[in-house]
Amino acid sequence: MGYAAARGGIEAILAAEELVLRRRVGGSSAKLEIAQIMERLGSTVDRVVGEGGLWAPELAALALRQTEGDIIEAVQLLRSYRSTLPRVAHAVVVDMSELEILRRIVPAYRSPPGPQLLGKTLDYVGRILDTNDTYDTAASGEAGGTDRRGKKGRDAGRSAKTRGAGQMADRGADGAHIAVDRTADLAGVSPELRRSEQGPSGELDRHPGRLLGVLASMDLLVEHRQTDDPDPFDITTQPVRPGVPRSAVLSVMARAETGALVNLWYRNVLGPDGYVHEITLGEVRHGRVPVRVLHPHTERAVTIGTVRVSEVEAIEDLNGPDEERDRFDIGYGLCFGHNERKVIAMANLDIAVRRDKGASMLEQSVVMTTDGLDSSGFLEHLKLPHYVTFRSMVERKQAVRAATASVGSTRARETAATALAEKTGTAMAQGRFADGAGSAGQITAPVSGDCIDAQPRGPVLPLEVAK
Amino acid sequence: MSVEELAEAGATEQFAFLDESSKREIRRALLTAVAVPGYQVPFASREMPVARGWGSGGLQITLAIIGAKDVLKVIDQGDDGGVNAVNLRRLIVSTTGVSWTTDVRDATIVQTRHRVPEEPMRADQILVLQVPVPEPLRGVERDMRELARMHAEADYSRMWVSLYEDLVRNGVITQTTGYPVLVNGRYVLATTPVPRWDVPHFDGSEVLFLFGAGREKRVYAIPPHTRAEPLTFEDVEFQVERTEGAACALCGAPEAYLIEVPGRQAWVCSDTDWCERNRAAPRAARSEAELTETARSQNRA
Repeated sequence: MGYAAARGGIEAILAAEELVLRRRVGGSSAKLEIAQIMERLGSTVDRVVGEGGLWAPELAALALRQTEGDIIEAVQLLRSYRSTLPRVAHAVVVDMSELEILRRIVPAYRSPPGPQLLGKTLDYVGRILDTNDTYDTAASGEAGGTDRRGKKGRDAGRSAKTRGAGQMADRGADGAHIAVDRTADLAGVSPELRRSEQGPSGELDRHPGRLLGVLASMDLLVEHRQTDDPDPFDITTQPVRPGVPRSAVLSVMARAETGALVNLWYRNVLGPDGYVHEITLGEVRHGRVPVRVLHPHTERAVTIGTVRVSEVEAIEDLNGPDEERDRFDIGYGLCFGHNERKVIAMANLDIAVRRDKGASMLEQSVVMTTDGLDSSGFLEHLKLPHYVTFRSMVERKQAVRAATASVGSTRARETAATALAEKTGTAMAQGRFADGAGSAGQITAPVSGDCIDAQPRGPVLPLEVAK
Repeated sequence: MSVEELAEAGATEQFAFLDESSKREIRRALLTAVAVPGYQVPFASREMPVARGWGSGGLQITLAIIGAKDVLKVIDQGDDGGVNAVNLRRLIVSTTGVSWTTDVRDATIVQTRHRVPEEPMRADQILVLQVPVPEPLRGVERDMRELARMHAEADYSRMWVSLYEDLVRNGVITQTTGYPVLVNGRYVLATTPVPRWDVPHFDGSEVLFLFGAGREKRVYAIPPHTRAEPLTFEDVEFQVERTEGAACALCGAPEAYLIEVPGRQAWVCSDTDWCERNRAAPRAARSEAELTETARSQNRA
């Protein structure tokens, strides 16, 4: 049918929907169960809840199944679902010291207060494609070297009988924690911090103190504590613009597309921008925090559940002429789910935006260009018909040709214009206006022929509306 | 209100998709937009069940202002039958149950992308325009803080310089669609991108124009009887798209926005409703009763 789909398109739309549905249930394999997506594709589910800005792993799994695993589309489903829901309450501010760690590393110190808990991570698992995938059978102990690598990468939350004998014995519920020397770096640290590394009975401390405390006790941190307590900026009820409070910048990044943040970070490290200064990671955490709301009658805080989050505190080495060069500053990253590369980029961009203080357009890049739905949606809109605008473009090309033919070549005109601009001192952005103003983002590629072909096929048929 | 009732409210399907407080917020922004013609009013912009960049701003406006008795028309490129128009209309109708039409004269709300209907609209109608890029000055300035200052101080000097440079370099002003207009002598506004052919419609119109940019989270308006002058110089005429000798191959109209059929040296109207009515009968010949009957039968379909 080609672009004839642009006309009388309801049948084509319904057919497209049917084809999408077939992918969900058709084929020879079983329909994907929600529980399977949640258990086996946890990283993807976590990305969707994080970028969706809605803690709803089950709905995220549902969305992923509906979109054949397309993360952006799944995020779109989650966010537009959220648009239909009234806001019934605000959560009580969470004290992040309540974070119960599932994983925590402190790259800045060998032996920070509290444990270095490796937890579940792919970081040190050999990136070797496990073509045998023999984890389940490996329990009998007959597996060789390749299988061992396979085992280590797996979630340890399995029954004891499937674990390799001995190998997993040192794992907690969340995997192995590495042995640490807890004495080396603790000189000068307060007794409270030292105590915090272990729980009362000597088991693993799931609520360790923060490296921030160590740095504060060494008087190495810039003071940022506010005396007032402003409400955080709610990016879902107020539009974000450059110049918004830090809470808005952080909220935007918390639900930004992971790839967008990573790219913005890297662009600033190696690309043309260069406003990011590489940080040292203080805390990288993954864990659970409780969510509380005030009870509508008693007005007491009631815990209504927990959410899993990734959290990063990044240490920035201040070196600007008007900065406190004998201290560090801290960048912060937090998002739903387990997504470390996102929160690391976020923490580094957070401190970079604050240090930039609006000197460059870094803040605008962060708050205006990192939302996955904005960028993907706008990119894909180029697929929409653009024949009305393109006809207008063709007409102007012909007008330019007619105008230049009557008074000489374009080249001669440009030379004259440039000379004039130099003479009058006007800032002349070569061709910028013609490229951009008003029609920025509009299609520039030729429209396919049958888009317009479909036009003269007679009157529009009565269109049916799917109820 | 009990917690159960609140939870219940969330579970029920809303009239016009959005929850009521979201719709209220959009309507408040629209009132500001009407009160300050041409000013880009920030609003929160919800995520819609269509992708951003696909009319989510126009859709939010339509859903915020629509009532059960409204009659809807949706066009894309001037065509009621385009996939995107069909899809948006399907969404609006299925979440509101309103009746719809392709005849612009019967509609109370028309949502459009890239076109203004050829038929002059009336005071009892509203035209909702989907906006991809609401900022007319982006071609001359990227920094949003500076853009805010330029609008606040009505500092459009760089816009004028760029128009001048364009003219000097090319012999004509090459801006194609979305031609900037000065609204009420105060704000420069981007005309969505509709072709220049449609730009005169905005000036001193009977109808209320509401513009929605969902991705960029802004709405703006040109109220009825408001000046909307295309930016040009005293001695340089504003030009609309026109091709010598072209007329619609279907209805014969020379005075409409025509699109070319490549390879056939033929032209057709982009406004399909206009074209069909021209073919079916000269407009004046159709009685009111006949029009009403047509609308009814279409709604039944």
